[in-house]
Amino acid sequence: MSIVNELTATLAKMVNDQFESPEFKHLLSVPLTLERGRFYVVQSALYTSNRRDCWGYVQGSAPLEVKRVIWQHESDELVNDPRANMDHYTLTVKQGEVVGLKPEDFEKAELPPMVLACFYAWHHIAIRNHWLTAYASSHMLERRNNGKIVKGGGMSYRIGEKFENELGINLKKMISLDVHVVADMDHSENISEIFHRYVKTPEDRDLVLKGAEECMAIDRAYRGALGYYMERIE
Amino acid sequence: MGSSENGGKKMWDELVRMVNDQFDTPQFRRLLSISFSRERAQQYSIQMAYYVKNRRDCWGYVQGAAPLDVKRLIWNHEQDELIGNKSEGKDDHITLAVKEGAVLGLGAEAFDTTPVLDGGMTCFYSWLHIAQRPWLEAIASSAILEMRNSSELIQGGSLSKRIGEIFARDLGIPLKKQINNAEHVVMDVEHAHMLYQVAQKHATTEAARKAILRGAKESLMIDRVYRGHLAEMLETLP
Repeated sequence: MSIVNELTATLAKMVNDQFESPEFKHLLSVPLTLERGRFYVVQSALYTSNRRDCWGYVQGSAPLEVKRVIWQHESDELVNDPRANMDHYTLTVKQGEVVGLKPEDFEKAELPPMVLACFYAWHHIAIRNHWLTAYASSHMLERRNNGKIVKGGGMSYRIGEKFENELGINLKKMISLDVHVVADMDHSENISEIFHRYVKTPEDRDLVLKGAEECMAIDRAYRGALGYYMERIE
Repeated sequence: MGSSENGGKKMWDELVRMVNDQFDTPQFRRLLSISFSRERAQQYSIQMAYYVKNRRDCWGYVQGAAPLDVKRLIWNHEQDELIGNKSEGKDDHITLAVKEGAVLGLGAEAFDTTPVLDGGMTCFYSWLHIAQRPWLEAIASSAILEMRNSSELIQGGSLSKRIGEIFARDLGIPLKKQINNAEHVVMDVEHAHMLYQVAQKHATTEAARKAILRGAKESLMIDRVYRGHLAEMLETLP
């Protein structure tokens, strides 16, 4: 098995294992109410903004051809995703209408302390590491959302199912979750190709694994935080 | 005019003054007084490709730290620089640099094999450092270099225009054949407006305006050091 095939198999195992962690199990077991659903949707918009920060930082440190790949990736996210005819932040705000949220609810939203800590931790990986580590960190969150890799469906799909089963809101109406079920398959596959071009040595592989492991740890902390806060909403 | 509007205009005037003053510094005067042999033009062209790559690094970091509306402006800006515009038949700016190199007799491999200038590397790291500071300082540090390259703002012509004129004078290569210089003469007029647009919305306090001026001032300082290193390198060549 080549070093990259071995690496991608490890990354696939890591994103599947996320769903077996106590933090993920807890979040996915917290019963949804409309208020909790609203909280989740607003937090998703803030998470999307944090992703845009991190991908920008990764673009800053990556080689030129990787910058171009990220720029294309950010076209969907930041400017316009042809699947939805809008950028992903606007998509999340629009999705909020389904649960009774208004644009100002997103504007005045604050980051809860445990979420803020996670966002700063992701910033730290994106800014202060070798580009392969930074790149792997941002990539892993899309891989963890890729239903072709994660058995039982990626995070957006599972949350979408919860909205459908527990609040009676069809996944097609949760437009951001619905788009991400597909978009992150494409994104994580396009982005994954970079490993084939740049991971040549055990040192390169270790840089990727460092970013992946640390990102998944923060992701668990983040999902644990969301579960914690949602549980406290009546 | 409100105090914020007044403060914004004052800041903009100061930025325009700063980029014009850049051309009266010893480093810029030294660089622009050099006669360009073909070898000097080749080395200048290669080092400028490194400069363009450093710009892409810095703009990435600036995009990362900026608010969402500003991220979008930067993303658009980076289309010209990083991707080009296929529908208009325009290459990205690294490709342009390599194509311009061909006019000077350089093969594409020269851009890969010629090392970056020591002083250049030092300045690039300095610019990267500012690019990771609070976002208003960071964006000012990158945007001011495009203001310095806007012939609309610089009396006597931008740096790309002046270098293009020297290439034409010394090497007989007309500006339109210097595709990289020619592109920047046009594009940086457009790009120079970005900071104005951002400042109007986001530089509404004295502290914000000071942050922009600080980023711009320090970037121009590095720019002077960089141009000084380029001049020194060129003078060692026949």
